[in-house]
Amino acid sequence: MSALSAENITRLYKSSGRGVSGVSLTVEPGEVFGLLGPNGSGKSTLLRVLSTAITPESGTFRIIDTDGFKEKQKTRAKMGLMVDRPTHYGDLSGWANAYFFARSYGMEEGKANGALAELFDYFGLAKYKDDKVKTYSYGMGKKLALIEAMAHGPEVLLLDEPSLGLDYTSQLSFQKKIRELSSAGVAVLLASNQVYEVEVMCDRIAFLHRGKLITEGTPEALISSLKGVKRIVARLHNPVEYDALEGVAGVIRAVPEGRDLVVHCEERPGIVAEVVVGIVGCGGDIVSLSVERPNLEDVYVKVTGEALRDDEA
Amino acid sequence: MMKLNPPDSYWKKDVVLFFSKRFALLIKMLYPVALIVPVAASDIPAQYAAAVVGIVAIMAGTFGAGESLTADLNDGILMRVALTPLSPRRIVFEILVVNAVLDFIQLLPALLILYTLNPAPLIWVLAATFGLFATLVTANCIGIFIANFTSSPADVLLYATAVLAPLIYISGFFRNTNPSGSLATLRDFVPFAYMNDALRAVFGLAAHNASFEVFAYPAVVCVVLAAGVSLTGPRLLSPRL
Repeated sequence: MSALSAENITRLYKSSGRGVSGVSLTVEPGEVFGLLGPNGSGKSTLLRVLSTAITPESGTFRIIDTDGFKEKQKTRAKMGLMVDRPTHYGDLSGWANAYFFARSYGMEEGKANGALAELFDYFGLAKYKDDKVKTYSYGMGKKLALIEAMAHGPEVLLLDEPSLGLDYTSQLSFQKKIRELSSAGVAVLLASNQVYEVEVMCDRIAFLHRGKLITEGTPEALISSLKGVKRIVARLHNPVEYDALEGVAGVIRAVPEGRDLVVHCEERPGIVAEVVVGIVGCGGDIVSLSVERPNLEDVYVKVTGEALRDDEA
Repeated sequence: MMKLNPPDSYWKKDVVLFFSKRFALLIKMLYPVALIVPVAASDIPAQYAAAVVGIVAIMAGTFGAGESLTADLNDGILMRVALTPLSPRRIVFEILVVNAVLDFIQLLPALLILYTLNPAPLIWVLAATFGLFATLVTANCIGIFIANFTSSPADVLLYATAVLAPLIYISGFFRNTNPSGSLATLRDFVPFAYMNDALRAVFGLAAHNASFEVFAYPAVVCVVLAAGVSLTGPRLLSPRL
């Protein structure tokens, strides 16, 4: 039995027309499932529906054997939730906030204290546990929200942008904890814009665009869908107008990423040299150049780019 | 002994927050004293003295619950609490009761000074105290009800004024002191009127109602109102989209 199964979920906001439309997905016990998509693609709306915060216009979902819409309280008890903009009671301590949530999920006092002590220690908040939350940094607030989501031992975790704002070591700790939980059978549904993190953490990934689920698969399968594509990463001294580069035979697209210009092109002999000539022709001063296999970021660009083109057509 | 902090329930959380902000607590305790004691110590007509005390209670109850509720709704924290397995109806009921009790604690010092300055038969002192608590429950119910329709604390003030003005009129605080017909019937359903009646008795005027009526009828009205606003929980605690 799937830990989470959603069937044909549709929820469109009347004011903007955005939301999700006809989305179906399943997450198995022990699986980490990633939701990727541009801003406004419907990730947070889908999590709002699955967290029982809002009711969809159509569709059903189940957490294990519980109907998510008919048995909301039972469903909520099985879930751990971290919303995209976590808030807390600023005048209470971090511990008091987390304890309040743990008890609200029905944990007994002793178990709540034990689980919270372990998580505060794990996420490095133990020495700040008695400080008022209004003195916490943004990242500390995010860690507290993670603790609140995990403390009661949920069977399904719904996380919206969980590691955004966390420092690097905290991100690693978070990833390790998610892996531990999934090994213990917890199903995790994670919405994020951190593509690299999703690639390394998730067993399966779905792309949302304009409220629709446009593709789904394992990271390997999604990346191998770019078979025959090369990724050339050129670090440049100066920003350039690169439109002319797309006129080079075999170049699929060129995308700037920070100081790098990433060029996706067909695999054929001599194409790297032609791309270099093209970049130089655009006025680019190349500092370094690497030829790599495609990654999930390339899938993201391809999928959302294609969807955009379809919309425009 | 019952432990309040860390809180293990919604009402304990509110109690901890109420007592945790010391300066705000001091102001909250002092402003009813500053408003009620000069009135209690003055020679103004008993009818108006009772009315001023009543108005302070109504305002404290309505604006307290409505504003803090909309602030928590805007902040998103209440929505997060609503996504725990706690029943939304229970959350709203706890918000109502704890706010009424905390408002009562806020008014208690002023009330004790009033009773000291205006000695009255014990039964009327008890009736006035109960009537005031019933008023706070009713006012909090109004504040919570208003929060169903707006997420702006400023709008709460506006809507509350629109709701309270006719209720205060019907209760006979300033005018309509001896109503007849439908106004008299309506008055029987407003707990503010019973508090006003008992406070008038404390200040030395004759009461319209028997003292037991001040205990019985507002209690029934409050139970109905509390059940009613608790039922709005699922709507109140759902996201405003």
